[in-house]
Amino acid sequence: MMDIETFLRYLPNLLNGAWETAILTSFTLVFGLAIAIPVAICRLSRSWPLNAFGLAFVFFFRGAPLLVLLFLIYFGLADVPLIRETWAWTFFRDAYFCAIIALSLNSAGYLCEVIAGAVRAVPRGEVEAATVAGLAPIDVARLVIIPNAVRLGLRNYGNEIIFVIKGTSIASLVTIVELTRAANNIYFRTFDPFTPLIAAGVIYFVVIWTISRGIRALERNLTPQLRTQN
Amino acid sequence: MDLSLFAFGDTGWGDELAFGFLVTIAMAVSSYAIGTVFGLALSLLESRHGRVVSNLASGFGVLFRSVPELLVLFLVFYGATLALSGLLGLVGIESSIRIGPFAAGVVALSMVHAAYASEVFKGAMIAVPPGYLEASKALGMSPWLTFSKIKLPLALRYAFPGLTNLWMVMIKNTPLVSAIGVSDLIRQASRAGENTREYLAFFLAALAVYLVLSGVSLFAQEKGQARLFRHVSDQRA
Repeated sequence: MMDIETFLRYLPNLLNGAWETAILTSFTLVFGLAIAIPVAICRLSRSWPLNAFGLAFVFFFRGAPLLVLLFLIYFGLADVPLIRETWAWTFFRDAYFCAIIALSLNSAGYLCEVIAGAVRAVPRGEVEAATVAGLAPIDVARLVIIPNAVRLGLRNYGNEIIFVIKGTSIASLVTIVELTRAANNIYFRTFDPFTPLIAAGVIYFVVIWTISRGIRALERNLTPQLRTQN
Repeated sequence: MDLSLFAFGDTGWGDELAFGFLVTIAMAVSSYAIGTVFGLALSLLESRHGRVVSNLASGFGVLFRSVPELLVLFLVFYGATLALSGLLGLVGIESSIRIGPFAAGVVALSMVHAAYASEVFKGAMIAVPPGYLEASKALGMSPWLTFSKIKLPLALRYAFPGLTNLWMVMIKNTPLVSAIGVSDLIRQASRAGENTREYLAFFLAALAVYLVLSGVSLFAQEKGQARLFRHVSDQRA
């Protein structure tokens, strides 16, 4: 099923595609986190308008399929005069920009729940103890809540990274030649579906497997108190 | 937004979009049903049989959870017809069967769904209190009777929230089949957008449909859960 000659000949194309996937993933992780943190703060806030905004954000971006979001931004926003006829068009005409925006918003929808969940899971007693001990609110956040929440949320964050990597394959549908598209292009040139697509699958698998192992190792490192238990 | 765009008949795109919606639903329901059964089988294979079978089943799960759905779709769509005629060729049958986009979509989406569903079932089986199983054993129930009357009904309850989450994942994965040429909602919306140059209106409408679907699913999940766990509600409250 695998043809070694085709594989070696087109391996550079696949690696180029994998590089594009890595770039898309990195941008999405950065922007996704930048959007998710303020929304997570809204979700945790006691003021109801902020809370409602956070809830609406989560419902919208988790309910909208990534592909629909991407098409809406890439094809749909071109119809809006405010975007088409102003400086914004230099960004929104670019498939790369649109893909990163769509991926980041989608990822932020999941990520802000991960963050909010991790913060909620910080033991209440520790926060109360720090407050009673006279720590300023900023120090309670910096020294107690954040270090705890990072440990508690790490596993879910790792899963989210994996979903982002898999999600970047959708960018192939708006002309971006990332790994999935690169494999597809090789198929159209050679009419051999198995070699390029299975090779691409192996690349995805190896990368994702390595990341999930790395996250697990990091989790073990950050939570030494749990090590003896398992 | 011009509502006449969504009229039924020759003047608007309402009927085309409605057809796409039905295709989306048919795609989601059939992939979900097949994938759930397959996922249950996988989780049973993983937990009960010899090492080889168990490793194969868990390998399938790990593999299909770490490869993008879109890649699986392409592989099945391009490869299935070739693979099928190759296999039939081995036993000397000349085949001209072509695997169409809809069938390829169902195969790919249900395999991915099965990989996730098997994890849900695995967790649900573990969550069944061992005391119940010991009690049924002590009463002399056969392993099959214990499984079918005690373990499975309880495990299905524990699996319910996970499975409904996966239903929502399935709804959000169906737009991918438009990439292999299935005329689902999003492909019909793209077609309408191409013809009228009104992409925004049609994609917003499609988005609204998906949001309503996921809202309804969330509601059903909550109602269903309350109903399934009536027998323990006083303990949980």
